[in-house]
Amino acid sequence: MFKKSNRSSKSIWAGIASLSLLLGGVVSTSSYAASTLTIPATDPDTTIKVLSFMNKADIQTVLDAFAKEHPTIKVDFQTVPFNDLQPTVDARVSSKSADLDVYWADQPRVSALAARGTALDITSAFSKYRSTFDASPWASGLYNGKLYALPIANSTQMLFYNVDLLKKAGITPPSASISDRMTWEDLVVDAKKAVDSGAKYGLLFHQFDRYYQLEALPVSKGGGIGAQGKGNLIPNVANKGWIDALTWYGKLFKNKISPRGMTPEQVEPAFLAGQAAYMVGGPWFLPGLNLSKLNWGVAPHPYFKGGKAATANGSWSLAINPYSKNQEASAIFLKFMAIDGGSGYIKYRNDPELAATPEAKKLYFAKDVFATPQGKQAATIIDYETSKTGVGRVQTVGYIEFETIMNAAFSDIRNGADPGKVLREASNKLRKAWAIYK
Amino acid sequence: MEGIVLTVHSGIKESSKRRRHFLAKKTEYFWALTFLLPTLLALIVLRITPMISAIYSSFFIAYPGGIRPAIFSGLENYRTVLSDSDFIATVERTFLFNLVINPLQISLSLLVSVLMVQRIRFEGLWRTLIFIPVLIPIVGSSITWQAILQPDGPFNSLLVTLGLKPQLFLNSPQQSLQSITLIASWIGIGYWMMFLIAGLRSVPSEIYEAAEIDRAGPIRVFFKITLPLIKRQLLFVLVADIVANFVLFAPIQLLTAGGPESSTTLLIFDAYRTTYGYGSRNLGATKVVILSIIMICFVALQFSFLREKKVKEIE
Repeated sequence: MFKKSNRSSKSIWAGIASLSLLLGGVVSTSSYAASTLTIPATDPDTTIKVLSFMNKADIQTVLDAFAKEHPTIKVDFQTVPFNDLQPTVDARVSSKSADLDVYWADQPRVSALAARGTALDITSAFSKYRSTFDASPWASGLYNGKLYALPIANSTQMLFYNVDLLKKAGITPPSASISDRMTWEDLVVDAKKAVDSGAKYGLLFHQFDRYYQLEALPVSKGGGIGAQGKGNLIPNVANKGWIDALTWYGKLFKNKISPRGMTPEQVEPAFLAGQAAYMVGGPWFLPGLNLSKLNWGVAPHPYFKGGKAATANGSWSLAINPYSKNQEASAIFLKFMAIDGGSGYIKYRNDPELAATPEAKKLYFAKDVFATPQGKQAATIIDYETSKTGVGRVQTVGYIEFETIMNAAFSDIRNGADPGKVLREASNKLRKAWAIYK
Repeated sequence: MEGIVLTVHSGIKESSKRRRHFLAKKTEYFWALTFLLPTLLALIVLRITPMISAIYSSFFIAYPGGIRPAIFSGLENYRTVLSDSDFIATVERTFLFNLVINPLQISLSLLVSVLMVQRIRFEGLWRTLIFIPVLIPIVGSSITWQAILQPDGPFNSLLVTLGLKPQLFLNSPQQSLQSITLIASWIGIGYWMMFLIAGLRSVPSEIYEAAEIDRAGPIRVFFKITLPLIKRQLLFVLVADIVANFVLFAPIQLLTAGGPESSTTLLIFDAYRTTYGYGSRNLGATKVVILSIIMICFVALQFSFLREKKVKEIE
């Protein structure tokens, strides 16, 4: 009997031991204090750890310029995959580790980062630079009237097309003029024609199933940005505008105008390989297009008939770990990247990236990529969209849950699920996930 | 007198023998502990401590992110997750997945193992081919399978060539979990096969010879001799496979992210997403504790099965 119970207790402990590797919750019991950050007149002699999703090679010229201007501040630049950035920041900051100083912060996540205590209050050091930035990128760094992140870039979306595939299908290419903006309804008709004439894909979205790019669809239909109420904590994704816009999205795949299963990483190569008639994408695609042999054109981002023109915007900001021991050196790095010379990040990067400050926008539009005829058209479109039609992603402390749940919903609609049902379920999931913030 | 001296003498001898024995035992324990220490420490640091920490943290409610202070809330987190219909659906899905994948993997592994111990040509080559998927990192094989199962990928091209309809596989809520089962089994079958082959090889050949003399057919031999004699290995494989499949994570995270329509949201992925995706560590810990309880029940069941059989055998 004894042996029996001993053995069964042994087996339970063996089970516990073999499973417990999975477990790792740690409870925090202390809170963090607000910062009174300043930018020192002389540079400290130190090394700062910077975490990003970017490859070091893509930003090396910027880091070299920083090293030249601030030789005593060394930068230990670390890269993690795009999807791992947030969990890595969470893990390092929540353990109150000083092993991270500066990190790349997705602009719509700043409210969540600030509320969670993951980003340092940098108001005291940077509020005086308010007028340096465009209004929308600056606002993305604010939470409860305080500044938690400094924008280093902005973005927009436009319509690229393959001239040869359109010609083959007898389609008149869309106009590059803002006043002749195409409707989604007309675009689908042309895209179908292109598929019927041999194009593998009619229309590609660079970021299929991502709220960043798809938000413009329900906004154009009058459905709003996805949440409302105090702190944007009441889901608003199951209204008529959202259902209509996402029904249109679902039909793209049902009617074989757009492919199921294609990941964002596969979209640009497919367009460059001449497989798609149209592609909605960002200005970061321009250098690749210029280098390719593709006969391409550019037009403004379409809108829904009877709706309003809306385009995605926003990009990345830099935030400081509240537990960093190098906060002043980090502030110097932030100032260099976002402010000095218009923006060190924009000024010294080889690949052009849309700036968050008017001064750096001038640097941006002076890059070679805008010297070609299509490049000039793209520059006019980018300038207009960023100032007139850009719609920021919803600012809420519950953004991280919002993005995860909505991206899954977009994916389900793409795979053929009923948009109304999926959006109502997503709304319920959001309500449950956001209960903790109320 | 002489007798007393002898008794005393032998008493001294006995006690010094006992002392020597005790010292030898002590030294043996010392060395055993020394050699076991790294493993014990690893167990404590990597397994026992996080387990206790997770159980502890599941009794608190905290703002996501893990920085702001947590508040003791008793069983509130358990009430929250157990009253969530999505979580209950996830638990049911996890059960169903395990009810299908484990018997499937084990029976196929067993079938392949039995084949591999027959006298066949190029036995080593076949065995290597079946084992190769185990050697490929799961991230690499998952991504390869994703490419194979794409709607316009090679598998569908093959189906079309054979005159069949192309399928959605990972993009269909009806086929996604089966596709994950296929990928996991492609790896698992070769792995578990190795343990079962070792078991099959340890069965004495005289028993089979005796069965042959008694004119037992191959099916009878398999069920009456092979299966009972490799029960230990089979039970190990059963337990280890169940544990592995309850925590199957990489293909789901890489290929479906729990979709489409939550069809591949299994408990471990849900716990991961809650903890690291949403930053709700306490709620994530609660889900992992529930998962662990379910797994412990499964494992305990297997162990009790092993024990009962042993008692029967002795009888």
